[in-house]
Amino acid sequence: MRQMLLEILLLAIPIIVNVGFFNTKLLKALSLASSSLELIISSLLYFEIPVKGIFFIDNITIYFLLIVSSIYLLSVVYSLKYIEAEEIRGIVSEKLYYVLLNFFVASMIFSTIINDYGLMWVGIELTTVASALLITTEYSEISLEAAWRYIIIVSAGVTIALFSIILIYYEYHTLTVTSILSSQPKDSLIIKLAVALALIGFGTKVGVFPMYTWLPDAHSESPSPISALFSASLLPVAMYVLYRVYEIYPLTDLFVALPTLSIITASIILFKQWHVKRMFAYSTIENMNLALIGLATGQVFGAVILLLAHAFGKAAAFYSSGVIIKTFNEKKMDEINGLYRMRITSSSLLLSSMAVTGTPPFGTFVGEFLILKTLVQSGFIVEFILLVMFLALIFISINYNVSRMIFSRPKYDRSPKEPRLMSLVSLISSVVSLGIGIISIIWGVIG
Amino acid sequence: MVNAQLLELISASIIVSALYIQGQAYFKPTIYAQAIQSALISVLAFYLGFALNLIDYVILGVTIVVLRSFIITYFLFRGLKAKPGIRESTRGVASELVVNLAFFFLAVFILYYFVLGRIGLTTEAGAATLTIFSFILFFQGLFLIVTRRSTIAQIIGFIEEENSIVLFGILTIPIPFLIEVSIFLDVLGLVVITSLLTLQKLEHTKLEELMG
Repeated sequence: MRQMLLEILLLAIPIIVNVGFFNTKLLKALSLASSSLELIISSLLYFEIPVKGIFFIDNITIYFLLIVSSIYLLSVVYSLKYIEAEEIRGIVSEKLYYVLLNFFVASMIFSTIINDYGLMWVGIELTTVASALLITTEYSEISLEAAWRYIIIVSAGVTIALFSIILIYYEYHTLTVTSILSSQPKDSLIIKLAVALALIGFGTKVGVFPMYTWLPDAHSESPSPISALFSASLLPVAMYVLYRVYEIYPLTDLFVALPTLSIITASIILFKQWHVKRMFAYSTIENMNLALIGLATGQVFGAVILLLAHAFGKAAAFYSSGVIIKTFNEKKMDEINGLYRMRITSSSLLLSSMAVTGTPPFGTFVGEFLILKTLVQSGFIVEFILLVMFLALIFISINYNVSRMIFSRPKYDRSPKEPRLMSLVSLISSVVSLGIGIISIIWGVIG
Repeated sequence: MVNAQLLELISASIIVSALYIQGQAYFKPTIYAQAIQSALISVLAFYLGFALNLIDYVILGVTIVVLRSFIITYFLFRGLKAKPGIRESTRGVASELVVNLAFFFLAVFILYYFVLGRIGLTTEAGAATLTIFSFILFFQGLFLIVTRRSTIAQIIGFIEEENSIVLFGILTIPIPFLIEVSIFLDVLGLVVITSLLTLQKLEHTKLEELMG
């Protein structure tokens, strides 16, 4: 009974708070309350697992819930200052921004906890409906184009996933996750085809090659709190759904090969990147695909640590990028310099870039270490060598660009003013990523 | 008793409607063709519903007609009305159609011999090879999205893809009604959003800022 109540509250709160639509201040306050409550409820659910019924929450699901609710809270706090009425033009007003943000989070939570593959698909598609317009908040021709690409590429990809869902239903005559996962595994070509199609379909939203082209566009043109939610929450949620399909029939070779290819292509493009947020978007592709390899090779713990640490690290990277873009009115990294004068933002940017590139002792390092170790133990030697090479390339590219922006000589003498709330949210987020790594190492998970 | 030839005839007509859309640069006929395509799918659902005595198919048919042939068509016209333009500014529609036909035959060949012939799909509607029509429709939608620049043409490509899923479901196994309706509402939501975007941007070109 208590479990059910918590689950219903978890789903209902972000939707109910939208009743404050008539008043912007009230809506902001309610969104803040909603995001705080979501984090509390997710934490309480940790003590209730496993949950089976209409909803399904086990010891993996709970971490995805914690990721979504934590980044929701950080993004709402950051938005209070970032999204200001006078800057809004075009389709999305300040009120509509918060309404869509709350629906977006509700659809992610729905996809994560629902115990039905078909409704998981519906939830994933709902995330597109709720978030597409959010990309156009900072209205421009470029953001409209990015939103359009997001809709059309992701929807086309997710349609492929629906073929997969129908094939699963055809084979099992049910779509209940717990029933299918607890039933006898079926070694049929239809199920293999379903799992492979899910990789392409849901993989579109996870950032798997070749359908990840929407990702840098949407991440770079969204307002920073939304970029953070995309990178830190939406992609892991899609990965969670993909993982649940993968569990039906593990096609490990395929689930290692395509993500490896994704990391290689992303690292090559990242090497020549000029746009600060696009750079971090490609880094998201790298981290997501590495986590997917972790899940596919059975290193679930490593993948979860990587996803948790990445969520906070990447959110911090986007939050600090948002502060920088607002301050300098510039997205080109060549034009951004002397950031060391913005003490909190530059510290956060440096910490977050170290976090997303897997620098020790950040949590991402712990996750990557465990995943790569398992990859070797599973006999994927070629993939391991390729990954180490290209992860090193990504590490150098990102940290070089970030160091250049921070430590280069400033072009202007005037010291830039730092928005305190936004910078602090960014710093806290990057410190959490560091904390996850330190705690994991103290616990001896890599020993 | 299901008449397989009738099923093939309706399925083939759906593909013809997709080919018509591919060869059409004017917006209005394209939108109408999309409505007709959805109506043909509902005819298929009605036929199977009555032939197999399954109420699920009949309800599905009604849902398709109402949502796809009427409501979505209404939103597409609304988007078009606010941003006047009768024809997509594109050249080479005919040559694209030729490429499409080549692509279509190749895809049919590969799917028929290498996938459907091997996986052992059996359906209530009859021969499993009928599902080839849904895959053809899916590729038609994908091809339309890739080759066209206008919002209207691309969203119709997306609707064709969604229609292909419905067709696949009808020809293999009807999925639970709650999920089916949720899927339809999702697509409707996307179309409403795209009609909003159509008001702002009717055509899509390459932008330097979004390269790399």
